[in-house]
Amino acid sequence: MEGIPPRRALILVLVLVVSSLFSVLASSSSSSPSQDVRILSVERRIDLTSFIVRAFLAFKVENTGASDVSEILIAFSPNEAQHLAIVKASTTAGKRKKKAYLPLDVNPIESPKGPNGAQLFSIALPTPLKSGDTAALEVLYVLTHSQEPFPAEISQSESQYVYYRDSALLLSPYHIKEQRTFIKTPSSKVESYTNVSPNNRVGTELRYGPYHDRSPYSHSPILVHFENNNPFAVVEELTREVEISHWGNVQITEHYKLSHAGAHHKGVFSRVEYQARPSISGVSSFKSLLARLPPRVHSVYYRDEIGNISSSRLRSDSLKSELEIEPRYPLFGGWKTTFVIGYGLPLQDFLFESSDGQHYLNFTFGCPLLETVVDRLTIKVSTLQF
Amino acid sequence: MAPKPITSPVPVEWYPSLSVLMLSIGLVLTASFFIYEATSSKRSRSLAKEITIGAVSSFFLGFGSLFLLLATGVYV
Repeated sequence: MEGIPPRRALILVLVLVVSSLFSVLASSSSSSPSQDVRILSVERRIDLTSFIVRAFLAFKVENTGASDVSEILIAFSPNEAQHLAIVKASTTAGKRKKKAYLPLDVNPIESPKGPNGAQLFSIALPTPLKSGDTAALEVLYVLTHSQEPFPAEISQSESQYVYYRDSALLLSPYHIKEQRTFIKTPSSKVESYTNVSPNNRVGTELRYGPYHDRSPYSHSPILVHFENNNPFAVVEELTREVEISHWGNVQITEHYKLSHAGAHHKGVFSRVEYQARPSISGVSSFKSLLARLPPRVHSVYYRDEIGNISSSRLRSDSLKSELEIEPRYPLFGGWKTTFVIGYGLPLQDFLFESSDGQHYLNFTFGCPLLETVVDRLTIKVSTLQF
Repeated sequence: MAPKPITSPVPVEWYPSLSVLMLSIGLVLTASFFIYEATSSKRSRSLAKEITIGAVSSFFLGFGSLFLLLATGVYV
């Protein structure tokens, strides 16, 4: 160590100190969440009985790290994340008889993303999970446009078959000890499905699993080809206008562009065959839709550019009103229709004054049609102040 | 801390009755104005009386037409 000038020694010491600081920082941030939490068991139930895919997961997670864990991460593949409509999580509190469900906040994490662009969501636990403890979580997520019609074109008298692509192994940032997947199809006509042993099929339910000891982010793609004749109603564009009048009325006007998003209809449409044999002809088409409106609705109208459409029924009770509308023609694959629905509601059900003197409108944001997917929604609210 | 619902300053059920009542009072006052004009001579006319009957009748006709619009569903 002799012969090194003091200035160089000082620089050397500084570099050593800085590099050791960096290494300490790097090691502290490299403790990834996958080392701390382990999923003991997960049961996944995927409901394909409608055009909208609903998946329900029941987790049991264990904290194997040393520190408390306050959030659990769930992952979705980039394709799933693009078609995700809603993610909800809840946990149970209390024993058997007094089970109560607490909703939990689920937030998307912009970065870092998982491998191959997997989208991560963070579920905030109500109380931090201590080391060695287990917790039970339930997650519900809904996917839209995830069933691809195959064959893509069918004639009037054919049934509709669709593809559903998923993974037999749950995509997760954690090590999973045991997992099972149950897929429910609308009917027992399943053309084909991928075999990832052990799996079997019972009636309308496909069972994959149990799979033991899988590493984080493991993935096994499966493809299910099954018959789905439920209505594939998609509202391509919806514009809702809400006019609030302080004289006691809220008037809503909704402009719809509805289409059938299933397998395209090819060939001719024979009205005779459609009406003579409804069980064979037009099984994948739909002719009516149900809209759920608030109770005490008045002045409901249903018209399009030609004029009033009289094929509609309104049934109301004290909790809700149901409007059943039938477009002018049944909708087959690829067919579209546009119409306008308008109705009025009493003001005191929706406009409130809070304790600090502010007025606020408590109104539903989404589309009142049941079992439909809305691609683009615009809502305009205007007040007519006097 | 339940939020207080905001309702109209006038109960909604009164709109048709109020509109009929106010329009009829306004039309009666308008008729009395015209009768006054027709039956009085240039000397016995009083400007103050003309203005008051006109103002009161226009007040009633104005509110009556507002409630008529509200009663028919044009919520202005």
